[in-house]
Amino acid sequence: MPEIFIRLYDVFMSTYEGFLKAVLITLEITAIAVVLGTVFGIIFALMKISRSKILQTIANLYITIIRGTPLIVQIMFLYFGITSIVVLSNFWAGAIALGIHNGAYIAEIFRGAIQGIDRGQREASLALGMNRTQTMRRIVFPQALRRAIPPLGNQFIITLKDSSLVYLIGVSELFGRANRAAASNFMQFETFLVVGMYYLVLVLIFTWLLKLYENKLNVDGS
Amino acid sequence: MIKTIDLHKSYDKLEVLKGIDLDIHPGEVVVLVGVSGSGKSTLLRCLNFLEVAETGTITIDGRPIDRKKDDLSKVRAEVGMVFQHFNLFPHKSVLENIMEAPLIVKNENKAKAKQLALDLLEKVGLSDKADVYPSKLSGGQKQRVAIARALAMEPKALLFDEPTSALDPELVGEVLQVMKELADEGMTMVVVTHEMKFAKEVADRIIMLDEGRIIEDADPDTFFNHSTNERTKQFLEMVNV
Repeated sequence: MPEIFIRLYDVFMSTYEGFLKAVLITLEITAIAVVLGTVFGIIFALMKISRSKILQTIANLYITIIRGTPLIVQIMFLYFGITSIVVLSNFWAGAIALGIHNGAYIAEIFRGAIQGIDRGQREASLALGMNRTQTMRRIVFPQALRRAIPPLGNQFIITLKDSSLVYLIGVSELFGRANRAAASNFMQFETFLVVGMYYLVLVLIFTWLLKLYENKLNVDGS
Repeated sequence: MIKTIDLHKSYDKLEVLKGIDLDIHPGEVVVLVGVSGSGKSTLLRCLNFLEVAETGTITIDGRPIDRKKDDLSKVRAEVGMVFQHFNLFPHKSVLENIMEAPLIVKNENKAKAKQLALDLLEKVGLSDKADVYPSKLSGGQKQRVAIARALAMEPKALLFDEPTSALDPELVGEVLQVMKELADEGMTMVVVTHEMKFAKEVADRIIMLDEGRIIEDADPDTFFNHSTNERTKQFLEMVNV
């Protein structure tokens, strides 16, 4: 067997215990970021399409600032900014930063999905005597959510990969763990190749789950 | 029942309705006709405030509606609407489409709403489609469900905005049949349509709009056979009646 495979095998065997623990941390951070991001995303999307100029302006400001600055800057800013005011672990600082970051992109996904719903749906709902809130909650939003699922899935995959950046504030997630392993075993190439595989497998599993969910939605209703 | 006084409506600089006075009596079937762009759909949509006329008064059941102070949802709940493109809710089954407004707007209990929905489905001849999603229905079936959905709110009047224009010709009849039955039962109806046969047979009054004004308001016999209005005559020639 070529020597490279032997080295890869060695690296894999010597790191998998720590890496699997780190996978859990990566998944935790991603899950928190996804939930936070979805909540922020829905709130800011609704603000952006609201009739209030003030709410629109706040939402626009948030989206512009988040999309206009690098994620790494946001993570650093939040970590050093918030931890100077309140006690916050680097894990939570990283997860919240990722969540806020995602919120801006998810807000745009929801805004597009909501505005993409045929005007006739809103009109039919209003014509039946439903008010604006009922129309949004019962008619427009459920349809928009279905439409948003493919781009949301995409965004979740980006989040999973972006979570690697929180290693810079000292979180021992997958990439952080790999970085340390590489520094001690001096097999950088092999170690990063192995960790790349971990991410790839995670993304593939997630893509597969998403596909299952989309198929289920398609079966359940139009 | 529904009365408008001097209704004006513009889109930007284009004035679409130029002072509409209209009085629709209970139980009456009024058909609005006119060439496209004459303002008939806009007028219909103003009647349940999907469009807001800038000036003029709309009175429903003797009560003038103040569009700033009154809850327009309540007004709309009393005046149902059927759309050209059906606008069924695709994420809900046929039964759920019909039950939605009674449950949410009227806080009806579920069993009662379901019974009403089933009765209405029977009325429009679609009892076997209760659990089907709209995407599985033909256009004619969709429109009949849409009519049942509007009826579920037990409206005082029903507005129809070109209800058969999006249908294949062979499906038009089933929808018109349901509308005819409603008319026979005494439902107050305002119908925008190009179906002149329906107008002739079912309408009590035919109102012709031209460039945002009512130019003729007559019973079907007068309208089709004895009109002296030049524009009406031109229109009838165009639609081959």
